[in-house]
Amino acid sequence: MARQRLDPDLESMLLFTDVGINILKGRRRQGGGRRHRLRRFVGEQSRTGSWVLRGVSTQIAAGESVAVLGLKNSGRTEFLRLAAGTLIPDEGVVRRRAQVLPMIDLGRAFGRGFTVRQNIYLLGGLLGLTPDKVESALPEIVETARLAPNIDKYLRGASALTRQKLAWAIAMAVNAPVVVADEMLVVGDVEFRKRCLAHAERLRTAGTTFLVSTDVPRKFEGLFNRAIVLHNGGVVADGALADGLALLRELRLANTAAGTEKDDIR
Amino acid sequence: MWIPAALAYRNGVRIIWEHRQVLRMLVLRDLQKQYTKFRLGYLWTLLEPLGMALVLWFVFTQLLGGQKLGLQPYFLFIAVGILPWWWFSRGVSRAARTFRRNPALLRMSVLPTKIWVIRVVLVAMAEYLLSLPVVLIAMLATRTLPGPLIVLFPVAIIVQFFLMYGLAMLIAAGAAVIPDLARIVRIVLRATFYLSPVLYSIANIPAGAQVIAAINPLVGILGLYRIGFWPTEIDSLPHYGISLGVTVAIFISGLVVFHRFEGRILKES
Repeated sequence: MARQRLDPDLESMLLFTDVGINILKGRRRQGGGRRHRLRRFVGEQSRTGSWVLRGVSTQIAAGESVAVLGLKNSGRTEFLRLAAGTLIPDEGVVRRRAQVLPMIDLGRAFGRGFTVRQNIYLLGGLLGLTPDKVESALPEIVETARLAPNIDKYLRGASALTRQKLAWAIAMAVNAPVVVADEMLVVGDVEFRKRCLAHAERLRTAGTTFLVSTDVPRKFEGLFNRAIVLHNGGVVADGALADGLALLRELRLANTAAGTEKDDIR
Repeated sequence: MWIPAALAYRNGVRIIWEHRQVLRMLVLRDLQKQYTKFRLGYLWTLLEPLGMALVLWFVFTQLLGGQKLGLQPYFLFIAVGILPWWWFSRGVSRAARTFRRNPALLRMSVLPTKIWVIRVVLVAMAEYLLSLPVVLIAMLATRTLPGPLIVLFPVAIIVQFFLMYGLAMLIAAGAAVIPDLARIVRIVLRATFYLSPVLYSIANIPAGAQVIAAINPLVGILGLYRIGFWPTEIDSLPHYGISLGVTVAIFISGLVVFHRFEGRILKES
């Protein structure tokens, strides 16, 4: 029973039907520790659920590359996780035609006490690669991440940049027909970013479907041919990238004027 | 009997086989981490239960020598009982931390959520298997050889595996939703140690209470482990049947609860 159940007969690559997800916001997400526990002790409900997304229906066709835009806390990550199946919707269904590769939070999956080689096998395994596939992709992965001389050293000392590169290289070895990613899709220094972009572009022309959540769509230089804007738990715009960006700018302005979102600039 | 067997196959044997490579990696890594942390490494897996058995043997035969507790030789009796207990208590307390340890893994992995529970269960089982030489040492020390019923020893291991798996699913799912459960589990474990026939045999307690005591699934499992050395343990066979039934019930309810809470677990990560 894999987490992703596939529907080979589906017309579109991904199909969201009336999807809703209710996330409990409370102690864990917002901190609060002792005071919260005390409140709970006296019977106050400390964890109230809120609909991060509700009534979301959309479909993504094969070969499309979609930018998922929105303000902070607009449910972009949840949207991606629902697409990848690492979150199960409370309402509605998400159906997939082909295997979806989630490139979310990848760098954090590495084990600190393991060597580079072990980490490659581990992350590859978590992304659904069998060890023999990892083995055949190994030279390319190390070469891409520039870790060839250090392959049997511990990853502990490596910089965040190196980890990102390594995670990216491993994810790219999966070769999934659908890639669901956050900023992880383009990482590293300037030179490496170029490389990431070129690779993404190559994949796109080869027919890979992309679903990418980003704050800076410019970074992806015309990779996208569609944008979905999430706001207040639903899709508020779905169409050309330029329209989506214009709407996002409006939303940001409105929000800064209202003063609700202080740290929008990242 | 068919339904539990089919469930055990689908959720145990098959899922492990399909993901054997990732699981092997995860389990080896966890073991490696533990064994490289200490100077004596693997030796601790033997020394710890051995020391514990020695202490208990000293207290109950030398200090409180009057009562006839358990079966003779008592040192072997303790050694055979303490290892599965160790497996049980470690497995249970670790299960509570299954989804707290590395939520990032849950967020990005496409593997079935159960894999994380199975990983914890397998690590505890591997530790148990690695500590089995303790039984050999105890056999040498007491110059005792097992009878033909020792064939039930591996059966006990399999039964305990499914008990641990069911419990781990219950506890892991519960602890992901209610964090306080991890604390409660610790207290309950303490009580379980004295309520389980680790230090004594089920035959030591009053006949009327035996049926109630047999609700504890460890009664049946410990019995199966011991039958090979003490054939008289077979007299309590009906009680083992009760324990076995409870084990099956725990396994099935673990599957049901886990399935029901899977969405919540993923949300909490």
